[in-house]
Amino acid sequence: MVVIAAATLLCACADPQRLPEWNGVWVTEGRAVNIDGFTTVGATDGAAPPALAVFSTTTPWNDVTRAKIDALMKATNGDPARGFEHGAAGWGYPLMMAGAAPLQFAITKNAVLVFNAYRDLRVIYTDGRSHMPAEEGWPPTTWGDAIGHWEGDTLVIDTIGVRDPSQYVGIAAPFSEKAHYTERLRQVSPDRIEGEMTIEDPQTLTRPVHLKLAYVRSRELNRIVLDTFTNNRSGFDGEFSTIEPPRQ
Amino acid sequence: MKMWRLIACSIAIGGMGSAVAHHSPAMFDFQKQATVTGTVRIFQWTNPHSYIQLLVKDDKGREEEWSFEMAAPMYLYSHGWRPNTIKPGDTVTITYATLRRGGKAGLTLKVVGADGKPLGSPSAGAR
Repeated sequence: MVVIAAATLLCACADPQRLPEWNGVWVTEGRAVNIDGFTTVGATDGAAPPALAVFSTTTPWNDVTRAKIDALMKATNGDPARGFEHGAAGWGYPLMMAGAAPLQFAITKNAVLVFNAYRDLRVIYTDGRSHMPAEEGWPPTTWGDAIGHWEGDTLVIDTIGVRDPSQYVGIAAPFSEKAHYTERLRQVSPDRIEGEMTIEDPQTLTRPVHLKLAYVRSRELNRIVLDTFTNNRSGFDGEFSTIEPPRQ
Repeated sequence: MKMWRLIACSIAIGGMGSAVAHHSPAMFDFQKQATVTGTVRIFQWTNPHSYIQLLVKDDKGREEEWSFEMAAPMYLYSHGWRPNTIKPGDTVTITYATLRRGGKAGLTLKVVGADGKPLGSPSAGAR
């Protein structure tokens, strides 16, 4: 009976006619930004889920990680984004799932692609494959190794092999490369996707972290405006970022 | 810790947008805003930031070039901006957050055209 039930669920994955589409461009709820690129449009609580940012005061870090964060804050005068002017070219995972950069979802029979304007790209294989074999020694990456499956109209994602996110983006929480991320995403209405993320990481946390995710369909965006970082004019003077002169 | 509180406060009250992944907003003094009018030399519709290079006359009538940082094209697009929203030779007035270090640059908060109307779609992005 269990096998039949499981097969029934998998049918939703195998039949492309039954897959949800999630067309359009989606913005993390409360994170649409103004033309300055920093402040949030009309939001009173535009924060990323706190546990994904190093600023969180509620994340149950263990003593070692808390000491590491305190040292980072002290070393950067409380501004861990400094010094990343020529580093991060996006948000990386998991921050991209709660960042300001709008997302698109491309759902196919075999995989779901999630991407944003900075070319952060997750390929979530839904064809029944397993994670990459541990014995092959795959190193962690910025976006990790993701597999998923459909439970009805809910996309369940299992992600491992994510490099410490704070190495890519200064404000990202410093989860270890052994962290295990589980997400459940579901379109609950034509203009809204809701979900949750659980992060298990005994190397940095005293207990798992659970986050709520929510995306709203953008009324203004009908496309992702993609490009490389061809015009990085940000410098760093040792205390603050700078605006360097144009090259033209 | 003072700057940490500033950044944390920024997150709490308004969130940190696109650029924070790329660089810190601490370089800008959001409490110290100014307005300047000039002639657009070039509009850079680029990642990771867009820029307006503006020619501004100083007190003695000499032309100086200022750099005004903006969000990446993705976010400008969501506010109704397009690559040709402003062109070389256009007269615009820019309200900006100043640099804590000072200098002929800032973070663009609002752009008004020669007709006195804000550029972009005022209602766009209001979600």
